[in-house]
Amino acid sequence: MAAPFTRVYRPLWRIITTTTLNKGVRNVSSTRQQWSAQNVKTAGVASPWALHGAVCLQRLPVVSQDRSPIEDEFMELMHQMELERSLLSDHELRLLEDAARMSRKQEEESDEEEEDYRDKDIFTAQDLEDIWEQKLKQYQPAQRSQGVDEKGVSSSERCLAESLILLVKKDVGSQKLWLLPQIQWQTGETLRQTAERALASLPGADLKATFLGNAPCGFYKYKYPKDIQKEGSVGAKVFFFKALLSGHKHLPLEKNSFAWVKKDELQDFLKPEYLKQVRRFIMAL
Amino acid sequence: MAGIVCRTASQIISSQASCSSSVLAVRHSHWFTSVLSLKTSIPLRAEPKKKKKVDPRREIMMKERLKKKLKRLEKVPPELIPIEDFITPAKCFDETRIRDAPKLSFEESERRALLLKEWSRYKYSQHQTEMDTIEEALEAQRQALDELKLESEELYKAAVSSDMDLFPFQREGPSYTPPITNYEAPEGKYNNITRVYTQ
Repeated sequence: MAAPFTRVYRPLWRIITTTTLNKGVRNVSSTRQQWSAQNVKTAGVASPWALHGAVCLQRLPVVSQDRSPIEDEFMELMHQMELERSLLSDHELRLLEDAARMSRKQEEESDEEEEDYRDKDIFTAQDLEDIWEQKLKQYQPAQRSQGVDEKGVSSSERCLAESLILLVKKDVGSQKLWLLPQIQWQTGETLRQTAERALASLPGADLKATFLGNAPCGFYKYKYPKDIQKEGSVGAKVFFFKALLSGHKHLPLEKNSFAWVKKDELQDFLKPEYLKQVRRFIMAL
Repeated sequence: MAGIVCRTASQIISSQASCSSSVLAVRHSHWFTSVLSLKTSIPLRAEPKKKKKVDPRREIMMKERLKKKLKRLEKVPPELIPIEDFITPAKCFDETRIRDAPKLSFEESERRALLLKEWSRYKYSQHQTEMDTIEEALEAQRQALDELKLESEELYKAAVSSDMDLFPFQREGPSYTPPITNYEAPEGKYNNITRVYTQ
C-alpha cells in the first residue's frame, strides 16, 4: 500500500531529503528501502560510505583537428568569396605592372635601356615571391600526425589532435581493474586535496596538473561484495575532480599500469557501470 | 656742480696761499677732492637709484597673467585620440585597385547557396551536441554535489567554496603543428611603427 503511494511522491521526497540537513530523518529504513528499490545504486541503512577522491587528468589537444569534408568545402568557398570582394593589394598591383612591362618589352624594343636599368635595381614581384617560398622551405615543422598507433597507449604524445584521459591499473579486491587514479579520503583534508594526493602518489609518474575548482565533477557509488561488507561499511563513493595536464615533457610511464586513452577508447578499458558515470563529465568535442 | 665748487674753492685757496705747485696739480685732479668742499663719494654723484617697490608688483602681475593664460588653456577639452580602425585608409578608395567582378554561372551560384544551407545545418547540429554535452556534465556535477552533501556538510562547504588560485587562468591553445623539441627560435628584430597618442 505504502510502496506505490511513495513511488508517486518520489521526486518530492528526494527534494525534501536533499534539503533537510538532519540525517536521522533520511535514514528511516522504510523510505530508504523503497528508494533503493527504485534507484539502482543506493546506500544501505544508515551506513557510512568510504570516501575516495579520484582525479580525471586530461591532456588537452596539442594540435588542431583535421577538417571534415564539409568544413573543407566551406573554407574554400569563404576564401573564394573573400577574394572576389576584396581590393587589389600593393603586391598584386606590382605583379600586374611587372607583367604589363614585360609584355610591352617583348612587343616594342624601344626604351630598352630605361627598362633594363629599372629591372636591375629592383627585384620584380615574382622574384620576391620566389625568395619567400625558398625561405619557407628552409623551415621544417614537426609532423602533425604521428602515424597510426606509432606510440603505445602509455605515451602522452599519442593522438595529438584529441584530449586524452589518464587511466591506472589497480588492484580492487581480487581483480585488477583499469580506473581513474583514486585514493582513500583521510580525515582533515578536503576531497580536492585527496585527489591531488591521488595524483602525486602514482608510482613513477611526475605529472603536474592544474585542478579546475574545488567542486567534484562526478561521482561513482559501488557496494563491496558481500563477503567484505562489514557492519560499518557497505561500499564506497568515489568523487572525481577534473585536472588539466600542464607542461610539455613527460617521462614515459609504465606500459602495463598507465594508459592515456581517448573518450571512444574508454569502453575497452573501463567496466560498464563505471564507464557510464565517467562518460558524463568527459567532454570530447 | 660739486666739481665746479671744488675747483673754484681750490683756485681761491691757491691765490691766497702760495702752495707748492705739486699740491695744486694734485688738487686739480678729480680723484682728490678738496678738504673744504663737500665730501661726496663717487657713487653718490650718479643718478639716484629707482625705488624697489615697483619691481615686485610688476613680477606679481606677470605671474598672474601667466596663470590666467594657463587656466584658459586647461579649460579647452583635450583633443580626442583618433581610433585608427575606424578611419578607412585612403588606399581603399583608390579606383585602380578594384578587381574585375567575376561572372558566376548559374550552377556555381546554386552550389554556393546549397553549400551555405548545408553549413548552417551542420553548425546547428554541432551546437546542439555541444549544448547537450555541457548540460550532461553540469548535471553530473550537480548530482555529485548532492551526494557529497549527504555525506558530510564540511566537505560540501569546502567543495562549494570558490577557488582563489584558479583565476586568472591562462592556457595555450592547439596549434597547427606540434612544438619541436629543443627548438631555437630565430631572433626576431622588428621596427615598431605604431603611433602613440598622448593627451
